[in-house]
Amino acid sequence: MKQLVRIFAIVFVAAFALMILASYLNKSQGYSGGNTLTIYNWGDYIDPDLLKEFEQETGIKVIYQTFDSNEAMLTKIEQGGTTFDVAIPSEYAISKMKEENLLVPLDHSKLPNLSNIDQRFMDLSFDEGNKYSIPYFWGTVGIVYNPELVDGLTFESWNDLWDPRLKNQILLLDGAREVIGMGLNSLGYSLNDTNEDHLQEALKKLSTLTPNVRAIVGDEIKMLLANEEAAVGLVWSGDASEIMDENDKLDYVVPEEGSNLWFDNMVIPKTASNIEGAHQFINFMLDPDHAARNAEYVGYSTPNAEALKLLPEDISEDERFYPDETLTGKLEVYDNLGKKMLSHYNDLFLEFKMHSK
Amino acid sequence: MGRNGKLSNVYLAVVFAILYAPIAYLIFYSFNSGGHMRGFEGFTLEWYREVFADTRLLIIVLNTFIIALLSSAISTMLGVAGALAIYHVRRKRTKNTLLSLNNVLIVSPDVIIGASFLILFTMIGIKLGFTSVLLSHIAFSVPIVVIMVLPKLQEMSPTLMDAARDLGAGSWQILTRVVLPYVKPGIFAGFFMALTYSLDDFAVTFFVTGNGYSTLSVEIYSRARQGVSLSINALSTLLFLLTVLLVVGYYFINRRAAKTPAGRGLRP
Repeated sequence: MKQLVRIFAIVFVAAFALMILASYLNKSQGYSGGNTLTIYNWGDYIDPDLLKEFEQETGIKVIYQTFDSNEAMLTKIEQGGTTFDVAIPSEYAISKMKEENLLVPLDHSKLPNLSNIDQRFMDLSFDEGNKYSIPYFWGTVGIVYNPELVDGLTFESWNDLWDPRLKNQILLLDGAREVIGMGLNSLGYSLNDTNEDHLQEALKKLSTLTPNVRAIVGDEIKMLLANEEAAVGLVWSGDASEIMDENDKLDYVVPEEGSNLWFDNMVIPKTASNIEGAHQFINFMLDPDHAARNAEYVGYSTPNAEALKLLPEDISEDERFYPDETLTGKLEVYDNLGKKMLSHYNDLFLEFKMHSK
Repeated sequence: MGRNGKLSNVYLAVVFAILYAPIAYLIFYSFNSGGHMRGFEGFTLEWYREVFADTRLLIIVLNTFIIALLSSAISTMLGVAGALAIYHVRRKRTKNTLLSLNNVLIVSPDVIIGASFLILFTMIGIKLGFTSVLLSHIAFSVPIVVIMVLPKLQEMSPTLMDAARDLGAGSWQILTRVVLPYVKPGIFAGFFMALTYSLDDFAVTFFVTGNGYSTLSVEIYSRARQGVSLSINALSTLLFLLTVLLVVGYYFINRRAAKTPAGRGLRP
């Protein structure tokens, strides 16, 4: 009994000692004061130096939290209980959050740097007038390939994926919109097409792709491609730049028929407690110098026209990530197709998955 | 016998090699100066330095241990009380029902427990953070402690308690001088199980963290999704060493307990 009491006493004392240490560290970092800003972002999606600079400039302490999927973020914000002041979801999640009244309207008068954003990326279908969201990064869906393994193929067109020489060499992202969209694009249709005939046609076309499909995978696609487990992959441009960082033999291309244009936007969720600070932060990130440094750190494409001018030429002139006007004209943002159409897309995708081995 | 023994030894070695290979691989690359896990370029401690330079990460490590220690200690107390209660239930059916209810909590998926805690906490207005994580860790640890302590209680001969009572011991004395010393190994086993469960629990914790409060498993997970930095390897290595230390510590406590049998002198 004595031993039990002694050991448990030690445990409690140790726990309290650690607690004192933790709260000391918290205080020395300023996390416990009143003036804080909680940012909810994807992991490793901001240059940490910028956060420090923001803290010095404004005296607001930043608490940085991360999520790994739009869905996880949505759940957390829907449930409440936490105070997130700024979040950075993708466009389809933003339209969902708008529908469910989870966003605070932005006060554009507090965002003078907004004028730096390229007009092409403003006022898009998922948030007209940018009432709730400001672009943070953007990108495309395209093809990563390994020139050494594909026999001189270059993928100017989606149809090059159907080449019989690619037998069992293609990895696809496990996303209904991406894969069905690719099918529609390859036929020259819009990737927001809801015409049943066109969709069936796309499905039929996709089913002839199955001999070339090696697997349909999730996030591990980056690792598999970097390790040269397959020659070709359908990926988001952000992932592509990461893959190419890992393995510089690989190349990325957006086929000429057009493709998806995606966005991660800054929003202020309903859970925010420091709305003033949130505006300050968004404005801070819109500053050309800050946006440029962030783009260099993260490796995604910045929507900030002024920042683009500050980036080194080998980044800003890279047509793979900053495609020219003709191609960007063909890129499409995913429309919110509504619950019914989305589940139809999912069914079609499931059908495709079942037939591909 | 000889041949058979050799074969089973080889089999055992293979199994352990498979189990430990990924951990060894991960530890090996935590010293790689190359910055990735393909090909070793040179020895460096840079990743460990990076871990220790990251104050937020250190706070999270501390949080993780505070939660682990407090939750396992509190849940051990509750669990022992629970095991005693179940042990003293007379009717067999009630007893089995209670035990099954306890087991259901152990086998039920963590995601569901986590989601229901999230709903509960937001409903009754507990802010997500330290309290919510602590409460949920206590909750999922209690059944584990119960199941570690109960067999020890059942193993104990009831005559011990009768004898103590005959010699004039009160209930409190029986509990503290006879029963608890006897089940001590079970209590420690429960405590250490709860400790390790709490240290590495992801699914439940993921739901109930918030407001800047996070634990290691949640943090590592969200960092790992966006390209694995080797500092995660370094951190995992440190954690692994710590768990090894814990296990070794448990082993020695157990051995000491075995050398001086429960309730010195009670048994012949």
